Amino acid sequence: MEFIAFAIAISVAYQALKGFRLSKERTLLFLNLSFSLLGAGLLIDSFSNAVVLLARFHRGVIFLSALGYTINFIVQVFAYGILVFAYLQQARGVTVGTVVAALPIAFFEHNAITELILIFLLVYISAQTAINHSISKTTNSLLVFGAFTSLVVSHVFFLLFTLAPIFFPFAHVAQLFGFLLLLGMLLRVNQSR
Amino acid sequence: MTAGEQNTAAKHSSKYRSQFRIYVDIMRVIQRESNQAKPTRILYGANLSHDRLVKYLEELKTLGVIEASGTDDRVYSLTQKGIEFLNNFRKVEAFAGAFGFRI
Repeated sequence: MEFIAFAIAISVAYQALKGFRLSKERTLLFLNLSFSLLGAGLLIDSFSNAVVLLARFHRGVIFLSALGYTINFIVQVFAYGILVFAYLQQARGVTVGTVVAALPIAFFEHNAITELILIFLLVYISAQTAINHSISKTTNSLLVFGAFTSLVVSHVFFLLFTLAPIFFPFAHVAQLFGFLLLLGMLLRVNQSR
Repeated sequence: MTAGEQNTAAKHSSKYRSQFRIYVDIMRVIQRESNQAKPTRILYGANLSHDRLVKYLEELKTLGVIEASGTDDRVYSLTQKGIEFLNNFRKVEAFAGAFGFRI
């Protein structure tokens, strides 16, 4: 599932890069950077999990799962942080320095705190996309709002997973659904004449 | 121009427009005028002074996205490159707009 999400994230990043090349608009560069990081994080996490699975949870490689998650978490904080910065900059002209200073300086291993940080960032982004949809009322903006809302839900499930393992598959399904909505938006944008 | 485009144009006209945005506005006016626009129509449509219009039209001609024709080269139309550019820009605008970013 994460490989599919990775492919979609990279597609969004590529579309943003194409847009940046055409318009030289910095927000598109932020979008490119954000989704490139998301894609890279998903790839590392899924790759490390695949290695652990293939090695049948051998003691020597079990640490890779935690390492993959930690890298994915750090990357996601930066990716969503960049998106938050892009929204803040558009609204109030915030500088890079302000956001770098606001970024958390300590990182954690797989636990409720890491998920809460990601949920916090994603809720802000979802709220921004909801406001955008309430103004523009287009199908594309609805798909993006739906995508980020699904990502919030997926991280809520990841948070609940720390309490009960049953939530793990739900988290991955919600994450995949979010990225599929982004894919839908991409296809719509590229089909439009 | 659709209601959405008019809203967008109004938003952009209320603040500083980038050179890129002015290029797009000029090209959109030309396209709206059935790809045969006179300078006066472009001037009003893109909300530009005469001096700036002349400057930007020359730049767009140099870029190869518009061409002048008719008596005294007073009618401007989009080249194939210009039409493709506008189509690509529309996609980029829709993509960025889906995230709530204005370009």
